[in-house]
Amino acid sequence: MRLTLTDEQALIESSVGAFLIREYDFIRRQASLQAPHSCNPHIWRQFAEMGWLALTLPEDIGGLEGGCFESGLLMRAFGRHLVLEPFAASALRASPILASHGRPDQRAEWLPSLADGSKRAVLAHEESAKPLPTDLRSTTARRNGTSWQLHGSKQLVHGAAGANLLLVSASLPAGAGHRVFMLRPDTPGLTLRPVRTSDGSQAADLLVDDVQLADVDILGEDVDATHAIENACAQHLVALAWEASGAMQALQELTATYVQQRNQFGQPLAKFQVVAHRLAEMAVCCEEALAACQLAALSIDAGVTDQLALAAMVKSKVGRESRYVAQQAVQLHGAMGITEEFPVASYFRKLTAFAQQGGSTTAHSRQFGNAMLRTTGWAFSRTLVPSPAFGQRVSA
Amino acid sequence: MNLVLSSQQAEFREEVQAFLQSELTDQLRIDQYKTASVYPEPKISGLWQQALQRQGWLVPLWSAEWGGTGWTPVERFIFETECALAGAPLVHPMGVRLVGPVILQFGTDEQKRHYLPRILSGEDYWCQGFSEPGAGSDLASLKLRAQRDGDAYVLNGSKIWTTHAQHANRMFALVRTSTEGRRQDGISFLLLDMQSPGITVRPIQTIGGDHDLNEVFFDNVRVPRANLVGEENRGWDCAKYLLEFERGAGIFSPRLRSQLKRVGDALREQIDSGIPLAEELPARFGEVSADLDTFEMMELKVLCALSPGETPGPMSSVLKLRASRLKQTIAELGIEVLGPESLRWQTGAARNADDTRASPALLQDFLNSRAFTIFGGASEVQLGIIAKTLVGQ
Repeated sequence: MRLTLTDEQALIESSVGAFLIREYDFIRRQASLQAPHSCNPHIWRQFAEMGWLALTLPEDIGGLEGGCFESGLLMRAFGRHLVLEPFAASALRASPILASHGRPDQRAEWLPSLADGSKRAVLAHEESAKPLPTDLRSTTARRNGTSWQLHGSKQLVHGAAGANLLLVSASLPAGAGHRVFMLRPDTPGLTLRPVRTSDGSQAADLLVDDVQLADVDILGEDVDATHAIENACAQHLVALAWEASGAMQALQELTATYVQQRNQFGQPLAKFQVVAHRLAEMAVCCEEALAACQLAALSIDAGVTDQLALAAMVKSKVGRESRYVAQQAVQLHGAMGITEEFPVASYFRKLTAFAQQGGSTTAHSRQFGNAMLRTTGWAFSRTLVPSPAFGQRVSA
Repeated sequence: MNLVLSSQQAEFREEVQAFLQSELTDQLRIDQYKTASVYPEPKISGLWQQALQRQGWLVPLWSAEWGGTGWTPVERFIFETECALAGAPLVHPMGVRLVGPVILQFGTDEQKRHYLPRILSGEDYWCQGFSEPGAGSDLASLKLRAQRDGDAYVLNGSKIWTTHAQHANRMFALVRTSTEGRRQDGISFLLLDMQSPGITVRPIQTIGGDHDLNEVFFDNVRVPRANLVGEENRGWDCAKYLLEFERGAGIFSPRLRSQLKRVGDALREQIDSGIPLAEELPARFGEVSADLDTFEMMELKVLCALSPGETPGPMSSVLKLRASRLKQTIAELGIEVLGPESLRWQTGAARNADDTRASPALLQDFLNSRAFTIFGGASEVQLGIIAKTLVGQ
C-alpha cells in the first residue's frame, strides 16, 4: 500500500498543471470555445505530443499503460481549467474500448492515428431515455443474412461532432446483449446534429436510420460486448468524477480568495462566522470528493472487478459534494457569481452537467445501494485490498 | 499510489485475524453488538482489554518500554479494522488512550510506576473530569477550585458529562489552581481517587434512556499534591497533548463500518422476513455506503502521511467533523430501516437478553449518536479550526 504519488505520477501532475497554466487560463480558453467542435487543434496536438492521447494504451503501440489513477490526475487538472476538448470521450473511453475489444486489424488501423491526434473517435452510447450506461440500449441491430441493419438514435454524445470514427452501441433481439459498430460520419443513413452543451463543450445527436453494415464493421468479434461497454463507461464516469473534483477545488479556492477581498458592513466577508464555516464545509466536500475519486481509481487499478459499482459510488459521492460546493460558491460570490465574465458561473454549469451526465446522482446512489444490498459489500473494509467487497456485478 | 497490501502487511493482517479467531468469544461479540451507548459496560470492555494485554497489543502507541508495539499507521489501521469487523468490544479509552499517554509524557517516574501497570491490568478504571456546567466547548473557562493546604489540594466545585463515573475508581481532572493571568495559565492536571471523601456522583439519564453520564460534585475533597501531573498551572499543556493524542490516535472508520454492518443486518432481517423495503431505502443505503467508503479512504490517507508520533494537525478536525456526522447518518439510516417499529422503547432491562437481533439497539444508537457532534470539540469548533487554515483569520 502506498498513498503518496510515485515519481511518474508526480510528473504527470506537475506537467499537466504547468501546461494548463501556460495554455489554458480563462481568457485563452475562449479559443477552444470558438474552435470548431470546441476542439482547438493547437491544444489537441499538444495533448498528443505530451503522450496524453495514448495515456491508457498498451506500450507496443506507443502508449503509456497508465491506469485510472493516472487518467484521474489529468482529468482533475482539466476540471480545474474547464478544458473543453473531448479528451475523456476520445482518449479515456473510445481508445480503451478499441484497444481492449477491437480486432488486431482494427487496432492497427485506428490506434496509431488516435494516439498521434490525427484522428478522433468516440463511443456513441448515450440515449437520453436510458440515462444509466447499464440500461439496455434502444438502438437495435438486426442481422439480415450477411449484413446488419442498425436503427435508433443517440443523444448528447460528447465529442461526436468532428469525430472520424463513431463506435455505436446497439442491442440485439432476444436478449443477445450488445454489439458495437464502427461507423464513419459519412455512412449513408447516419445523421449527426451538433449541439452545444451547457458546459461549453460540444456533443451531437445521432440519427441512425436503417444503416446497413457488415460483420466486418463490428468492433471485435461477433460476441456480446455488454461487459466491455460497461467497463469503458465505468472508467469514463470515474474520469468525469475526477474532472468534477478539480472544478470543485478551483471553485473553493476562488471563493476563499473572494471572501477575503470583498468588504461589506466594514469588514471582509470571511470575518463573518457564517461565511467562514461555509467555506470550511466546502473544503471538506473537496477533500471527500478527491478521496472518493482516488478510492474508485485505485480499486479499479488494483483489479477490483465490479467497476460499475465503483463508478456508482463515486458518482453518488462527488455528485452530492459538488452540488454543495457549486451552490455555495455562487452564493458567496453574490451577484458576481451569476455573471458570465467571471469563471464561477462556468464552473457551476460544468458541475451541473456532471451531475446528470451518465445518470443522475440519485440514480447512481440507488445503483450502488442495490449492489451493496445484493453482495453485502458494505460489511467489509474497502481500502484493505484484497477485499471481498465489490465481488459481484451491479445491475439495475 | 496503490491500495494493495505488501506481503508484510498481509501477513500482519492474517496474524490479527488469527488472534481474533482464537480470543474473541461469541459472548463478547454479542455483548458489543447489542451495545448502543458510546462505550460498552466495563465488564465487557475489561475482558477484551485483558485478552489484548496478554497478546501485548493493548497500548500500541505507548513507548516500547511500557508495552508499545511500534506499529506503523497502516498496521494500526489494519488492527483496528479487523477488530471492528470481527465485532470485538471497544476498549475503554480513558486509561489506555487518554491519561496513559499524559502520564508517560508529563508524569514523574513514581507516577509512571504506580499508575501505568494498573491501567494495563485494568485494575484502575478511569473517568475524565474536564467539562463543567460553565465550561463546555470553552474549556479554559473551567472553575473547579483546587486550593493548596499543606501537602494537599482541597477541591470544591463540580464536573459534568463524566462518562462512566459510576464505574470509575479514578479520575483525571483539570482544576483551577490560579485565577491570575491568562485563563489557560491557572489550570492544573490532577489524578484523584473517586473514593475520596466529599465526592458525590449524580447520574444523568440521557436521550437514549440509559445511564452513561454523570455530574460529579466536590465538597472539600483532599487530593495529595503528589497527584499533580506536570507543573502546577501548566495543566493546559497536558490537556492539549491529550486531545491532540486522542485525535491523532483515534481511527474512526472501523467502528463506523461495524455500525453500518448492524444497520445492514437489520435490513437483511427485514428482507428475510418478507417485509418489502421502503422505496427510498436502496438509494439512501447507497449514499451512506459511499459516504463511509470515502471517509475510510480519507482517513487512511491522513494516517499514512503521518510519521510515528506525529499528529495530523487541522486534518484531524476534518476527520472528527465528518466521522461524527457519519455516525449520525448511519444511525439515522438505522431507524429509517426500522420505520414505525422504531417506536418501541426497549432500554436496558426491558430488552430481552436472549435477543441477538440488530434491530433493538438501533433507536438508542440513533439517539445517542447526537452526542458525537457535541463532545470532543463540537462541529462548530471544528469548522472554526478548518476555516482558520483557509482564510488565516
